[in-house]
Amino acid sequence: MSSTRAFRINGAHLIVAWLLVIAAFGTLVSNPFVVTLAGYTSAFALFALSINVMLGGLGEVPLGQCVFFGLGAYAAAIGMKSFGLPFELALLIAMAVSVAAAAVIGALTLKLTGAYFSIVSWGLTGVVLVAAMNLEHVTGGPLGIFGFPTITFAGVDLSEPRGYFLVCAVLLVATVVVLAAVRDSRFGAAIESVRQNPHLARSMGVDVFRQRLKAFMLSAPIAAMAGALCIPYTQIVTPEVFAVSNTVDALLMVLLGGSRLLVGPVIGAMIFSIIPYFFNMDPNVRILIFSSAIILIMIFAPGGLHQLMSAVADRFTGGRRAPSGI
Amino acid sequence: MHRPGSEAVRARGVVKRYGGVVALAGVDLEIGTGEVFGIIGPNGAGKSTLFDVLCGITKPTEGEVFLFDRPVNDVPPHEIARQGVARSFQRTAVFGEATVRENLLFGRHAASSHSVLGRILHSAAWRRDRDAFEAKAREVLELTGLTEDQHRPANVLAYGVQRRLAVGIALMNDPRLLFLDEPAAGMNGKESADFVELVRAIEPGRTIVIVEHDMTVISALCRRTLVMVDGRPVTVGPPGEVFRHPEVIEAYLGADDE
Repeated sequence: MSSTRAFRINGAHLIVAWLLVIAAFGTLVSNPFVVTLAGYTSAFALFALSINVMLGGLGEVPLGQCVFFGLGAYAAAIGMKSFGLPFELALLIAMAVSVAAAAVIGALTLKLTGAYFSIVSWGLTGVVLVAAMNLEHVTGGPLGIFGFPTITFAGVDLSEPRGYFLVCAVLLVATVVVLAAVRDSRFGAAIESVRQNPHLARSMGVDVFRQRLKAFMLSAPIAAMAGALCIPYTQIVTPEVFAVSNTVDALLMVLLGGSRLLVGPVIGAMIFSIIPYFFNMDPNVRILIFSSAIILIMIFAPGGLHQLMSAVADRFTGGRRAPSGI
Repeated sequence: MHRPGSEAVRARGVVKRYGGVVALAGVDLEIGTGEVFGIIGPNGAGKSTLFDVLCGITKPTEGEVFLFDRPVNDVPPHEIARQGVARSFQRTAVFGEATVRENLLFGRHAASSHSVLGRILHSAAWRRDRDAFEAKAREVLELTGLTEDQHRPANVLAYGVQRRLAVGIALMNDPRLLFLDEPAAGMNGKESADFVELVRAIEPGRTIVIVEHDMTVISALCRRTLVMVDGRPVTVGPPGEVFRHPEVIEAYLGADDE
């Protein structure tokens, strides 16, 4: 279990290790497709992290989280294409737009919990999808927005596989670090208490609705960042970014890796990308395999693959493990 | 001790209706600052409803509730908690998935103030919160006898131990008014006796309101107790006296017959 330890971060060495792995991967792996795929995986892992703020953090299944993913992609695309903004600024604006949208959507929907919240948030994706289809002068309609100039981030060319991977991976690590700090803060303790027992949390002085709204508003810009970072890979933004299938893919990643572990979604995203690539899977086979895997994991290891690995590690160490860090 | 004019809890004409069902049929009540006050009554007497209304979780249909002379009818529960009022629940009394220590941390919310940025930068507020939490957690762990169990998940603890943890969580904000909802329910004799000792240890400087079925616990702790029957108060007084009240005897015997 990834526990809430408000007064301890013991992951500084892990951050350094991650950055070294990223640097080594970026330097040593020469296959441009693999490097690009790793970049895209990092971007999509951000979306999975965003979903897990809601799932692992609040215990809600945010089927409509792709709204923020799509808003991020569209806002960044429109910022670059229509206003000629640099990607960094377009990304920041995309994140700000998603926070504002989350404040409004959250204020309207977060009084609901469980299946009701999921269904309403799912319904929103339909509204946004239709809007994106029809607001042709803004969104380009069904054809979407494409034909971007060369996209750079802090001077790094994102059309180049290595640059794209490094930027996405470093932003992913930075997000994990921020989420670790959130988890270990008063706010993190509050949302964990709300997830476990909202009535008791309320009687301890926690404003349950406010904490849920804050968590939602934290998850949105992460999804928006993911959406914007997919642009250099896809080179096009169409209304399909609002499709619930995007949320479902990210949810599968979270469940594969484990929602109770901060980096569970990242592990899940890696598995989700690497296995189909190495086994050269047909998309239909991929769906079949991952759907079956999810069923088995939910039955035998509801905590995700991380729980299985921990159980195996316990077998070898006799249960003497340090508490898991980030 | 109860000092007139310094009520921790004051209820005026409190009525609570759920549709056509009258759960509370007009309750007037005063609980003095520093008092340990019991609420008893047979099942369905409305004592849990009264308890929820007094601590602000449920809003009354009519009447008013004051805590420390401040009206709380329109104050949300989390704001009431921040005024130094804590309650323990009969069921779901602890955060089951969290360790004992994390339970105490969750209980510390209202007393801490650092931001996420403060957490990252190790701000003065974060350091203050950390040190205050450590000191308070140590004190509460000792008081509740949970020091050995502090890293165990709450849901693996024995029932009586969970009840002590529930009180421990409530103590983390250093409440001046503590509501305990059937704290000794399901406890064996030894656990009840330990619990009485715990309440005595935390009593100084606090007002404690207890809803309880176990008359031994009520007799051991409360100077005054209120008896509720059919949504209305029957009598208030020292436990020994109220147990001899004819209407109380009748209500309990009737309840036993059911």
